[in-house]
Amino acid sequence: MTGDTILQIFLFLQVFIIGVLTTLAVHYARAHFKAKQQPLEPAPVQSPTDVEIPATLKAHLLQASQAQFEEAVKNSAAQLQNNLAYTNEQINNLVMKLATDVVSNELTRYKADLDSLEKKAETEMGGIRLAVESHEAELKARLAQEMEAEKQRLLKLIDTKLADAVGSFLTETLQHHVDLGSQSAYLVAMLEEHKADFVKEVADGTQPTK
Amino acid sequence: MALNLQNSIASRQDLKALILDVRTYATWYGQAAVKARLTNDNLAPLPNLSEAAIGLINTWNQQQPISQASLDALLAELEKYAATAAAITITLAAPAPGSVKQSLLAWCRANIAPNILVDFRFNSTLLGGMVVQYGSHVYDWSFRRQILANRDKFPEILRHV
Repeated sequence: MTGDTILQIFLFLQVFIIGVLTTLAVHYARAHFKAKQQPLEPAPVQSPTDVEIPATLKAHLLQASQAQFEEAVKNSAAQLQNNLAYTNEQINNLVMKLATDVVSNELTRYKADLDSLEKKAETEMGGIRLAVESHEAELKARLAQEMEAEKQRLLKLIDTKLADAVGSFLTETLQHHVDLGSQSAYLVAMLEEHKADFVKEVADGTQPTK
Repeated sequence: MALNLQNSIASRQDLKALILDVRTYATWYGQAAVKARLTNDNLAPLPNLSEAAIGLINTWNQQQPISQASLDALLAELEKYAATAAAITITLAAPAPGSVKQSLLAWCRANIAPNILVDFRFNSTLLGGMVVQYGSHVYDWSFRRQILANRDKFPEILRHV
């Protein structure tokens, strides 16, 4: 039950009570005016010609009627005031109860909505967490893969560079067209280069006997 | 009389094996000659000799007929040669294959001395090339020495690669 519905009910009640009070007020007003106008109407049964009322009595009766009417009005007003007070208290109690119910219902509904939202948020957070974890794992795997690929690339690059460097170094260092597989030509060339030294030493007989 | 050693006799070790074979043959020849003179029995079988020994004996036989005296002279010539022959030691980075040995030996006998002996050794730390030792002279043409001599160039070459 929403606040608007309760307010509408409350307004209807107010209108109803006002209607009741208006009806009562009209009823009493009519009774008052009837009582006031009735002595002025000519009595259909008794005519003044039949019964002669003395003036003093007439005045006395008029005063008594006025006092009685005033007493009746006063009683009715007091009763109406009591009824109004009672009705006001009832309405206040009813409004308080309605307000309490409304607030309670609203609080319950609010709490239920909060729980629902919390559950929904938890569910969504769980989904988000799973998605984040999945994405994180995927990123880690991709990173590891890229790192491995980069490592292999760098190793290959280092191998290539080192091979080039070693090859260049050997070529520059050995300064001969050395075939690292078959060195016969290189060995003979080196002997040929120092042939004169060997021949001289053999001719000089510097070879020690062993 | 000059010896003409085949290229299969490359080192002092080969020469010692050759001398042993010739001595074995001389012993067999002496015993066979005595036995042939005294009995008509079949001679003892010829001992197993290396092809180099057989070739040397045949060559020697062409120069003077085989006899106990000529074999003794051959042995004396070989012993003398072993004691005085020029010899060089070639150290390679790996055990030398036959073709390399023959190539180097042929070059030495063609250019240095006809009957020079060449000992082959190997040392893997040389990496390549060779070390030639003749008497107290050592010629280091190994890759190791050349690399170590130029090791300062390596960082510069590495920077330029």
